[in-house]
Amino acid sequence: MASMDVISRNLMLDSLKEYAKRRIPYDLIRELDEKNEFPAQILKEMYDRDTLGVHLLMIPEEYGGVSGGTYDIYRVCEQLARIDLGIATGVFATFLGTDPLNVGGTEEQKEKWLKRIASENLLVAYAATEPDAGSDLVNLRTRAEHVVKNGKIAGYRITGNKQWISNGGVADMHTVLAMAPGGPSWFIVEKGMEGFSPNKHEDKHGIRLSNTAGLSLDNVYVPAENLIGMEEGKGLLQAQAVFGYTRVMVAAFGLGAGEEALEQAIRYSQQRIQGGGPLSDKQGYTHKLLVPNYVRMEGARSYIEFTSLRLDSGEHGLQTEGAIAKYGASEWGNKAADDAIQALGGYGYTKDFPVEKIKRDIKITCIYEGTSEVLEMTIYRGRWQEHLKSRGRYYMDQADRLDELHAKVPGAGAHAAALGLRALGAIMEECRVQKLTRHQHVTFKLGKMIAAAETAAIFSTAAAAEKYTETVRFDREGWQAMARVFAREAALSTCVEGLALVLGAADQAGNLADAVNLEAVQAEQKGMIADMDLVAAKLKQTFKAK
Amino acid sequence: MNIAVLIKQVPDSTEVKINPETGTLIRAGVPSILNPYDHFALEAALALKKKHGFKVTVVSMGPPQAKAVVQLALALGADEGVLLSDMAFAGSDTWATSYALAKGIKKVGKVDIIFAGMQAIDGDTAQTGPGVAQQLGIPQVTFCEHVDVDGRRVLARKQIDGGHELLEARPPVLVTMIMGKDYAPQHPSFLAVNGSLKKPFHVWNAEDIGAEAQYLGLKGSPTQVSKIYPPPQRGKAAMFSGSGQEGVAKILEIMKSEHFTGE
Repeated sequence: MASMDVISRNLMLDSLKEYAKRRIPYDLIRELDEKNEFPAQILKEMYDRDTLGVHLLMIPEEYGGVSGGTYDIYRVCEQLARIDLGIATGVFATFLGTDPLNVGGTEEQKEKWLKRIASENLLVAYAATEPDAGSDLVNLRTRAEHVVKNGKIAGYRITGNKQWISNGGVADMHTVLAMAPGGPSWFIVEKGMEGFSPNKHEDKHGIRLSNTAGLSLDNVYVPAENLIGMEEGKGLLQAQAVFGYTRVMVAAFGLGAGEEALEQAIRYSQQRIQGGGPLSDKQGYTHKLLVPNYVRMEGARSYIEFTSLRLDSGEHGLQTEGAIAKYGASEWGNKAADDAIQALGGYGYTKDFPVEKIKRDIKITCIYEGTSEVLEMTIYRGRWQEHLKSRGRYYMDQADRLDELHAKVPGAGAHAAALGLRALGAIMEECRVQKLTRHQHVTFKLGKMIAAAETAAIFSTAAAAEKYTETVRFDREGWQAMARVFAREAALSTCVEGLALVLGAADQAGNLADAVNLEAVQAEQKGMIADMDLVAAKLKQTFKAK
Repeated sequence: MNIAVLIKQVPDSTEVKINPETGTLIRAGVPSILNPYDHFALEAALALKKKHGFKVTVVSMGPPQAKAVVQLALALGADEGVLLSDMAFAGSDTWATSYALAKGIKKVGKVDIIFAGMQAIDGDTAQTGPGVAQQLGIPQVTFCEHVDVDGRRVLARKQIDGGHELLEARPPVLVTMIMGKDYAPQHPSFLAVNGSLKKPFHVWNAEDIGAEAQYLGLKGSPTQVSKIYPPPQRGKAAMFSGSGQEGVAKILEIMKSEHFTGE
């Protein structure tokens, strides 16, 4: 789905921000977090079509929605995460629950259910996970059995248990994955159906404003027309078809929450006077706690935008890209939030300051919609295939293009990014020759390195572009410095981690240090501190103390 | 009746900083917003639309990106939007701007009430609304906090020193609005934003509105801004809270420590 025009998108974001400013102050969030309470009233208002109608983003215009594209959804998810990741999750669950219908529903089903979700402000839940089936849905235990009347399948009786379902206890409607005789299939189950009951709301580490509950289904009867797509066995395909962009949404959560925590720390650092000056003027503080984190978050942003725009231009799937986007934003966001607490010192460790809550909340982004480890595997698998198919040229060709870009725009870190990709290609080739991917650890580590090296490439490309997207809040000088810092760090870590990996797994490493061009990567580190100084100054300028 | 609302896109003044060395505004990265006074003017117009079913047309002048405030007004309920945009308008002072806006309103057609914000937060002149009334040769009521219509009478409540003044005017009339408590700036739902794209929106240049070049831009501007500079930095300020008695004690303590009391 194509994204909206920038003015409409920004008007929607402004309305969301204004609503949050008016109705969801931090004191209220803190109280609800303390009580582990789902803000039903706020969610209803946010879904109210005359107040906000945020859920309409996912619903096509012909069914009463506003037909948001992936880029729009990313922007709204980022903003929601800046408000509260629990509330964001409540909205996200409806997005997710609507997905099987959007992807696999028949025209009649969309007409009926999407219209109802839009006009009746329905809260939706997406019920796939089970006690024994998380990322591995093959172990699905929930069964859907035929109910035959007059020789025809009139409906299904569903029995089983679902676990950790966001909105599970509060949703008006659930899309439930169950094993039908023809294979895994999605069914629409409405609140109040006989035999259907949510379990208690979980007492969680974070996102405590999000309702999370198990579901018990005891012989729940649903009519045959509630089978999404009216065809059994399509469930896993329907689930996988949307991973590209559902993961972009969670990536946007990691980005929004991570940057929010850092921006609070940057503002704080200008007011906190220690040793005769503000913390924001001390390299030992900024270059450890603020600069590298913000740079990584902006790298994650560029990757999220790259993936969103590709999805909006009509590309399908993009599972590996969705995985990279989410992996980077959530892992780096988690680290950023952790460092934001450190940056606020004792204050950061108290609940008076939101960074403490952000740190607890953001952890979930490394878990739901595919854990970081599942994503490492997904990323590795996707790119390993490309490496083999291209006979090792996959990253070398991209690196060549980055060097061409570097010749035209030398300031955006494209050469460092190219060095990183070449090093990655060399390490993958060494792993192939020495058959090192028999070690699962090697494959997962490769997944991690791929995410960093590819993000560096995308960040440098974005920073070299003539025109920046609406989300870049820095001038060219500042954003290019960020891209350079990112690319250098990614190139060096690719080399160092890659060498360690191969040395640890292989009988011999030969001249791998030459193959990854360690010397050039080292030389490329020149100017790093000056760039970090520049980034620190830009952060201070952009996020002034209030 | 037909209503026109004059609106302007301005930089969010809470985020604008002045470069103390060059004396220029740092606008990079500063979000643009609908001038807050104009937002109240728009809400007053929309309240009349709701009550009497009047048609509301918003008119703005600015660069192409000023479309954003026109679209916001459409999303909030205005029926039609006009953006006057032309390089020929660049550099216009309040008088040249008033001329262009008046020409734009004439092209809109018969208008009974023109609403404008009292002033824009970027220029703080409070001249453009009255200037438009002058250009059109119609009466004006400024600094209004509430406007209603009774038959063909326009009833304006105006804030004056120590009280209020009720004025009655016959259309066509121009009123400028303060940010009073009778209206509250609203924000549109996602659906309303989407719907605004389907409402009539026009971009008109100088030729479209029949504006003559000699009255536009720097040439048509009798005034020019010579310099913008930040106020000199004030001394240090400190805030204390507590009872009156505690406050007095604190002030005395500071006066003593700063040697104000001669002790």
